[in-house]
Amino acid sequence: MGESPDLISDLPQSILENILTHLSIRDAIRTSLLSTKWRYKWSTLTDLAFDEKCVSPSTDRALVETNLVRFITGVLLLHQGPIHKFHLSTSFLQCRPDIDQWLLFLSRNGIKELVLELGEGEFRVPSCLFQCLKLTRLELCHCEFDPPKSFNGFSSLKSLTLHQILVSPEAIESLISGCPLLEFLSLSYFDSLVLSISAPNLMYLYLDGEFKDIFLENTPKLVAISVSMYMHEDVADFEQSSDYNLVKFLGGVPLLEKLVGYIYFTKYLSVGDDPGRLPITYIHLKTIELYQVSFEDANEASPIQLFPLEEESFDLFERDYFEYKLPRLETVRMTDVSGIRNELEFIRFLMGTSPVLETVIVTSSLSDKDARMEMVVELLRFPRVSPRAQLLFLQD
Amino acid sequence: MSEADMAIIKPEMMMKSYIWLETTDGSIQQVEQEIAMYCPMICHEVLQKGLGAGSSKNCAISLPQRVNPAMLSLILDYCRFHQVPGRSNKERKVHDEKFIRMDTKRLCELASAADSLQLKPLVDLSSRALARIIEGKTPEEIREIFHLPDDLTEEEKLEPLKNLMDDPRIRLLNRLYAKKRKELKEREKLKGKEVEERVDERSVDDLLSFINGKDHKVVKTSKSKKKNKKRKEHKNKVSHNLHSKQQGVQIVDETAASLGGVSNLPSMEEDIFSLKTDSEDGYVDDGMDPVLKEMLDREVEDFARRLNSSWVLSSGQERQPVHFSINGNGATRRLTAFQVMLGSLILLMVFGWQVPEFCGVTVKGNSRVRISGLTGTEGGDEWFDLSYIILDEASDPPKYDNVPADREDLVRDVLSSTLLFPFELQLCISELELL
Repeated sequence: MGESPDLISDLPQSILENILTHLSIRDAIRTSLLSTKWRYKWSTLTDLAFDEKCVSPSTDRALVETNLVRFITGVLLLHQGPIHKFHLSTSFLQCRPDIDQWLLFLSRNGIKELVLELGEGEFRVPSCLFQCLKLTRLELCHCEFDPPKSFNGFSSLKSLTLHQILVSPEAIESLISGCPLLEFLSLSYFDSLVLSISAPNLMYLYLDGEFKDIFLENTPKLVAISVSMYMHEDVADFEQSSDYNLVKFLGGVPLLEKLVGYIYFTKYLSVGDDPGRLPITYIHLKTIELYQVSFEDANEASPIQLFPLEEESFDLFERDYFEYKLPRLETVRMTDVSGIRNELEFIRFLMGTSPVLETVIVTSSLSDKDARMEMVVELLRFPRVSPRAQLLFLQD
Repeated sequence: MSEADMAIIKPEMMMKSYIWLETTDGSIQQVEQEIAMYCPMICHEVLQKGLGAGSSKNCAISLPQRVNPAMLSLILDYCRFHQVPGRSNKERKVHDEKFIRMDTKRLCELASAADSLQLKPLVDLSSRALARIIEGKTPEEIREIFHLPDDLTEEEKLEPLKNLMDDPRIRLLNRLYAKKRKELKEREKLKGKEVEERVDERSVDDLLSFINGKDHKVVKTSKSKKKNKKRKEHKNKVSHNLHSKQQGVQIVDETAASLGGVSNLPSMEEDIFSLKTDSEDGYVDDGMDPVLKEMLDREVEDFARRLNSSWVLSSGQERQPVHFSINGNGATRRLTAFQVMLGSLILLMVFGWQVPEFCGVTVKGNSRVRISGLTGTEGGDEWFDLSYIILDEASDPPKYDNVPADREDLVRDVLSSTLLFPFELQLCISELELL
């Protein structure tokens, strides 16, 4: 006949679905125009991702919103079969009843991964979400989250991300403790959060916001912590608590490999009475990164003496141990170093207790060349236990 | 079982061990063991069938049907590179990018063969490459690349897009059409057919400009500065005896206003006619809120009623041919969002009466314009949604491979190919599919 054979339509369904998942949802739907065989091939895709690029751009926000809603509703109606991943990420949608309907639809279709990043507004998560018990990943942004009393948590949830969510702390606590398989937790943009985290399988913790009090009650498997804490200016609030924050926070994480702290991290940790001995050592700690951490508060009255200044005993974490070691520490990174004593002592401590240390990256915030030179000279003086240690000095 | 077997296999061979593989065409080849074992399917075969499998020509491992010798050698090249443990991720990526550069046919075969050998990384790699080929292309181009048959009806092609990217104006108009269609059918049964030839001499532009001229006053839009400019261009082309058309045009205007809300109709037509791809210019602002919707619904009803009455009143026996001057642009064009969107309506009214016969045009090639002809008869208003009717009923509608530069000719041809000419024609371009 001279007609070339169809190259692609007869490939196995799994390959075609693989191809379609690599296309944007719009391109995938347009394949339904190709031929009779392709007409509904896209409709069994299990992963759907929507954003405002799905519809034509326009300066009229309301129009984009309407079109996007119509598009998503249309796709869901034409879809066949289970939907495992649903990502919606757009600032154009804020609070619409349509979203409730989509969530209801998803809850009936076996949703496993749900990502909802909406625009600033007060979208209240509907109750049907709490019936999606197969959820393994939940990410919510700019929503109001209010679980019903009968809600016991998501038994399969492994990853939870909440960003700027309006929710009561008890609700978060019970949610976290109701998700026994939780491995990744990210809480950001909260106000004055007081939280006690109990998650036996938790491995990655990411905190960002104004936290008043975080107690890692039961997180034995924690591998990486990244904390970006903002504190009220009035430290008086904190002085009242008698528990040493350092213990509360870093006391129960023996497997910790990576510690990342921002801004008020050390200040927060130093609040409270120092009880003396810490129960654990950090034998797995590989990386320490401190960004813009201010060691400035050398005021005697406020308990910021996190890193003691005694020359001989580098007992940062264990007062009575003289042979303290961080056996796996490989990378240390500190920014905004201004050469004050506490900072330099800390670096000296690290360099003196890490036999496999490879890189120490120091970024300075000093503008004065002489001061910077002094600091560099100081740093170079410090004895190094590790033969491969490199001190890299970068400028802001 | 597996480890013991592996332990026995290796020490026995002093040199590199080989596995024999047989493809469905009967050819057998010898392949180094560690390379072949990179494919899970071969690995399973060897381990399942025990020591003897693949160890000699006679008991070669037979490969699945989709693996032909050419693909097998490609796959083995892939395995040969990747099974070396010491390579960095970057090296592997670079190799993969080069590896995957091949023509589409081989790419499809490769995906298929890799899948049957269960070599998932290669399946992903080839799927991604195929996705890159498909991405951003028009359906025509994709069909050509993969030799897909174009066997969907027009209707079927519109379906998903219509559902997902519908324009409220289309829906409104379709509703109107449906109503009119019903009435027409009833009338047909009562009256029987009349054959008359009426041709409207006026050009589309004239009509447009006339309407535009009126529209300019009637419609208040907040966002039509650009569009006002375009309307002004058209103004100069106004000519003709418009008196008898006043009423009708007025109705059009009001319809335009109602159907548009913040009507962009004149500029819509403009865009259709000039096939502009500037999405911003042509984009439909409809700002439909429920109140507006209700208002529009009511207007549609009013419009329908008025049409009926106006056509009864107008005694115009004018016979003028209809010229549609549409500026076509047949250049290949990538699909923009606007073009896919069904967003263009044009209403023109030409008075007179005609016959319940209508014309439709499907132009293949780079642009498809579906022109619905709406014809009104004496005392009536018939609206037809051509997209569903025309392709069956039009007597041999001509098909064009390229859009003629002068689409006027095109439409005239089509009109002449039907038995009857619409005298009073409501022209509606209901979709502009630029595929």
